[in-house]
Amino acid sequence: MPVTINASTSSGVVITPDYSGNIQLQYNGVAAPLFHAYLGSSQAISSATYTKLNMDTEEFDTANCFNTSTYRFTPTVAGYYQFNAQIDNQTGSPTRQFLSLYKNGSTSKVGLDIGISTGNFSGAAGSVLSAFAYANGTTDYFELYCWCNGGMTVAAGSSGIQCYFQGYLVRGA
Amino acid sequence: MTLYEKIKQIYPELTSDDFMPNNGTIMLQNDSDGRGDYIRSWTHATLAQPTEEQLAAIE
Repeated sequence: MPVTINASTSSGVVITPDYSGNIQLQYNGVAAPLFHAYLGSSQAISSATYTKLNMDTEEFDTANCFNTSTYRFTPTVAGYYQFNAQIDNQTGSPTRQFLSLYKNGSTSKVGLDIGISTGNFSGAAGSVLSAFAYANGTTDYFELYCWCNGGMTVAAGSSGIQCYFQGYLVRGA
Repeated sequence: MTLYEKIKQIYPELTSDDFMPNNGTIMLQNDSDGRGDYIRSWTHATLAQPTEEQLAAIE
């Protein structure tokens, strides 16, 4: 039976853990989706080609909404989601590159389009993305793409600390 | 040779601006599903989209 907790005092709602168990945020009985996926191996990106990043390894995926075969996040709770992503170039020297959050197969949000002057960042460059997006909790899905104007290889790094894709529910619909 | 390089070989007059995400007229994509790079959209005002035969002829 659902219970609604109202912040009826000026102190708001205070939750104090008693160390006897877990507190799990749920929406209609479903664990709030939250995932962290990362590249299991390095990936080549062709010049001027939107390329889906092979986020084939998970560190966690609380509601089993991320598919490591299609690299697709399909949240099962309707609401507003925060997405974070970053990549680190291993080889290549593009002068422009960015990450793109695809929603249902098309660009929804893009990260900073980094213009890199040749020679200033030799051997070390990357891209980041931070964005909100709405999901209907049934059919909407999200993927991470990369675009650059020169071929490059994205580094897998170690245990997902360099190139990753994260998302979590911020607020239900 | 990548799809981008093949297209540039067919149409040397194309510049990097033609492939830019916001103002370009040619969008290439790779869905990492084993099918490789492909032309998602081609809206260039004067140059026709290369045929599969044209692309396949370049190695």
